[in-house]
Amino acid sequence: MTMLAADSRERRAMPGLSPSLKATLTDRAPILIPVAMLILLVAIYASLREGVFTLDELNLDTAAALTLVLAATGQTIVLLRGGIDLSIGGTISLGTVLAATQFRDDPAHVALWTVLILVIGALVGVVNGVLITALRLQPFLVTLATWSILSGTALIILPIDGGGLPSFWMAFGSRNWLGLSSAVWLLAVLVLFWLWFRRTRLGIAIRATGSNERSAFLSGVSPLGINVATYALSSLFAALAALYLTTQTGAGSPTIGKDYILPSVAAAVIGGISLFGGRGGLIGTIIGAYILTIIGNLVFVLSISSYWQPIVSGVILLIAVLASSIAERSARRSLT
Amino acid sequence: MINLRRHRAILLAYLGMLLLLLLTSVVAPGFLSAAHLRSTVVLAAFIGIVALGQTFVIIGGGIDLSVPWVLNAAAVLMTLAAAGQNGPLLYIVPLLLVAGALVGAINGLGVALFGVPPIIMTLAVNVILQGGILVFTGGAPTATAPPAIQFLAVGRIAGFPVILILWIVIAVVATLLLSRSAFGRYLYAVGSSAAVATFSGVPTLATTVAAYTLSGFAAALAGMLLTGYTAQAYLGMGDPYLFTSIAAVAIGGASILGGSGNYIGTIAGALVLTILTGLLPALNLSNGALLVVYGVVILVTVSLGSESIAAFLGSFRRARRGDGAAL
Amino acid sequence: MTDFLKATAVVKRYGGIVALGRADLSARAGEVHALLGENGAGKSTFIQILAGAVRADSGTITLAGEAYRPKNPEAAQAAGVAAVFQELSLIPDLTVAENVWFRHEPLSPLGTVRAATLNAATAELFARYRFPDIRPDREVRRLTLAERQVVEIGKALSRNPRVLILDEATSALPPAETEWLLGLARSVAAAGTLVIYISHRLGEVRAIADRITVFRNGETVAAYETQAVDDETIIADMLGRRMDRLYPPRVATATDRVALGLRGFGAGSKLSGIDLDLKEGEVLGVAGLQGHGQRELFQALFGLGRAEGSVALWGQPRDIRSPRAALSGRDGLALVPEDRRSHGLMLAKSIRENLTLSVVRRFTRFGLTDPTREQALVEEMIRTLRIKADSPEQPAGTLSGGNQQKVIFGKMLLTEARILLLYDPTRGIDVGTKGEIFTLMRRLAAEGYAILFYSSDLAELVHVADRVAVLRNGRLAAVLEGDDNSEHGILRAAMIERAAA
Repeated sequence: MTMLAADSRERRAMPGLSPSLKATLTDRAPILIPVAMLILLVAIYASLREGVFTLDELNLDTAAALTLVLAATGQTIVLLRGGIDLSIGGTISLGTVLAATQFRDDPAHVALWTVLILVIGALVGVVNGVLITALRLQPFLVTLATWSILSGTALIILPIDGGGLPSFWMAFGSRNWLGLSSAVWLLAVLVLFWLWFRRTRLGIAIRATGSNERSAFLSGVSPLGINVATYALSSLFAALAALYLTTQTGAGSPTIGKDYILPSVAAAVIGGISLFGGRGGLIGTIIGAYILTIIGNLVFVLSISSYWQPIVSGVILLIAVLASSIAERSARRSLT
Repeated sequence: MINLRRHRAILLAYLGMLLLLLLTSVVAPGFLSAAHLRSTVVLAAFIGIVALGQTFVIIGGGIDLSVPWVLNAAAVLMTLAAAGQNGPLLYIVPLLLVAGALVGAINGLGVALFGVPPIIMTLAVNVILQGGILVFTGGAPTATAPPAIQFLAVGRIAGFPVILILWIVIAVVATLLLSRSAFGRYLYAVGSSAAVATFSGVPTLATTVAAYTLSGFAAALAGMLLTGYTAQAYLGMGDPYLFTSIAAVAIGGASILGGSGNYIGTIAGALVLTILTGLLPALNLSNGALLVVYGVVILVTVSLGSESIAAFLGSFRRARRGDGAAL
Repeated sequence: MTDFLKATAVVKRYGGIVALGRADLSARAGEVHALLGENGAGKSTFIQILAGAVRADSGTITLAGEAYRPKNPEAAQAAGVAAVFQELSLIPDLTVAENVWFRHEPLSPLGTVRAATLNAATAELFARYRFPDIRPDREVRRLTLAERQVVEIGKALSRNPRVLILDEATSALPPAETEWLLGLARSVAAAGTLVIYISHRLGEVRAIADRITVFRNGETVAAYETQAVDDETIIADMLGRRMDRLYPPRVATATDRVALGLRGFGAGSKLSGIDLDLKEGEVLGVAGLQGHGQRELFQALFGLGRAEGSVALWGQPRDIRSPRAALSGRDGLALVPEDRRSHGLMLAKSIRENLTLSVVRRFTRFGLTDPTREQALVEEMIRTLRIKADSPEQPAGTLSGGNQQKVIFGKMLLTEARILLLYDPTRGIDVGTKGEIFTLMRRLAAEGYAILFYSSDLAELVHVADRVAVLRNGRLAAVLEGDDNSEHGILRAAMIERAAA
């Protein structure tokens, strides 16, 4: 219907009306719907089980959700840019494998390799961004290829799950401060980071480029710069996800990353990120990741087959995306 | 000349395949034996049949991530329902092909009617099917493939693999559909520009739905045939085909944006992937190395095949001449 | 006074197409300098070069005495050149304030952009230049086109530019805001900025420009002090010596048979109550100021979007709900759309595939296409329309604008529809092809086709159409023929209500 949108707005009166309630609601639908879903799921969960509203439960659920949250943070940034990053699967696998094979029982050494893993992660994104821009290739294909290369590299380094991590490293994953687990604190830091990042020039430029690439370019955004920054951030968060994951599993796995590729997209989409770029935020994604995690809890509490989990996740994903498609359409229609 | 340029990507894919074969004959002499070539082609046929649907969907500007579990569902349901007997196949096979097509149609409707991004639509359908089959089987299917299916997958007629005959028939039909039918024309048009297609009177909704329907059909067919090769259905048997079906199409020169490519190219893509799979063990390389090589091959073919490299080299030439490159 | 901005022999080619052959310009600080020329004369390319969006192939530009060669828009902005393009550069999902300050946002000590600071700065900027009332915190996608245009101007001013380029900046503005913008341009220039002003409206140019430079076919053909030149001279410079031979002789070929009959036809709130008969053998012009319903008329007739009222084709009532239903062969209707590149052509596909897309069934037998028959149709069209191409397999996107339009005409003619809807078919097309298109239109009419023809160029309507239907506010204001069919008559019918109000 784009051809209908072009010029038909001209005869409107000049001063803007205040946004109507309906417009506000359809605007907010992509975030209101996941919030409502999460509340509903938590309510069901609480009705089936004691002690849902305790710090213990929050600590456990956050620990379970945090790897996905971190992976989905990177994916969120890429989706806001209007791209997609499948390579985070490879980065996560490689990250866990490097940690499991390189970390020694020496904090300084661990610190060194932590930094190295993060740097390698960022470099992966730089390569993705350069390939996408310089060769004008599709993000889907480029990151599919780099995913394969990274997964292969992880398999070469560590053919099967294993390796070991220093005990102090794993202890970090189960540490509590003020009653809150390290995962909750990390999540809080992540939220603070996001509140800061989305208001930086880079954060605005990423969103803007996803919203309208041509306009962003005309306004002085460099295509190479924005792509390198976007994909580097994505891979960096994937590397962080890998590091956190090792504190939970205590091992490296050359294949574990693929379990996070599509769920990271799903978490973001459930949380209201538009695949067309430019719209949504990390808070929605975090809610999306929690929704996916609590579905797992519910299936467990109901003691039904865990195989129901993908079904419910898929249905929720469909509901969320249909809702945002409809919101998207009405947003476009409101222009005419 | 123009035609050569248009089909450059496909020519490159075949050239790459021949080079690979040449390389193979040098490093692993036994590799070019009739027996080994035959098994390579048989394995490629499975990728080729799954990638058939993926080719149509990608040409139409979409992508089908539901392939793995449509394939797996058809395989599991067929073996369970037939319970090793040929008789029930008469109705089970057509029924499952229709079911696969229906799943595809749902994908197509979600994409074309409701505007759901293809990645999300087909992803959701994939996980729902996955869960459904897992719940249904309790996670452990055991039935074996009926003899008739095994014959189709690994049997031979006068020394010629049956599946190869099937693949050739499919390839001819697919190529005719794409290059010589109204549907094919419409599909390229929808993939090139949905707006232009609409303005030109192309039935865009029906075309898109048809492409996904075909993909569901092809995945179901491939799933049932694959049980004949592995002798039984198992859970997760479809998972590798997500990557390989997309990779085969991309290596075969189709643009992931839609509007270009054809099945002849996809065949080359399927063969390249299979030859690589067979070649690396001969070179004593691990599974990991195979994945690395896959990734590099995709990157190289995609950049060589697309116009981007030409533009890239062009910009160098311009830069050397001292005048500016756009963008 | 020395020249603040001086461009000499600037050249830009796209493939084989010369967008700028030799552009020269010299302008002083503190003046309003108008750039005039027809569509396709190269003005847009030239200012895109100034703004860094496009890089010139050759030529030199100096700004304040220094070589100026921006390699991207950012560099141009850094040099103090800010442009308001016809193609707006706003980000729909950002707020007005975020758009105005995009890429040079005031930062807090934490390196963040605070919404409150941004909104205040925007309010202050808008107040300083007495902007129309627009809330800084609204998202741009919620604004009307006119409001966006205003925001775009604010965005350019926020950089305190040394050179401010306004490209057709008034095209979407209502009268009051147009007045405001003209005043703004003058006052910005008075403060020492060079304002480069591009408009098709000679009246505006006369009101504010100190000097005028005229482009034609990619070259600078004249430069004047505004007071020292009259309108006739400017128009003659813009048009060159071509005009009269452009139009074929108009022979009345209309019969009494009604090809397209509309009663109470309408489309939503933009078009209503249209009663109109298009006859066999007739070219019926459609005119109207931008946005008065002509686009809706063509779209609704072609089955795009909702339509009300009754439509009869060749006497048969028809309910057309999609382009597919409109393209029903000899008794149907075909459209040459406004937007060639995104609605008319698959740019990456061959001429052949484009030409035959709507008529695949014409050469399909037993489910298979017949390449020989297709080739025959394609060659016939290439010959008839004299499409200049190496081969039918050449990608349509590599053709010149005129030849691209011919391919769209060919695609439409192949459908055999005898009612043709032509929406601004000569826009941005070279003069030679324009003449060919008009000749073709009259020939088709003589063969019994019925043609509905909208053009943004009134002269075309006057010279080519038998009658002209004028739309005003979505209603039929007048149908002009004979001596009434003049540019003056059309404008009067299109604007009279507004003048009275």
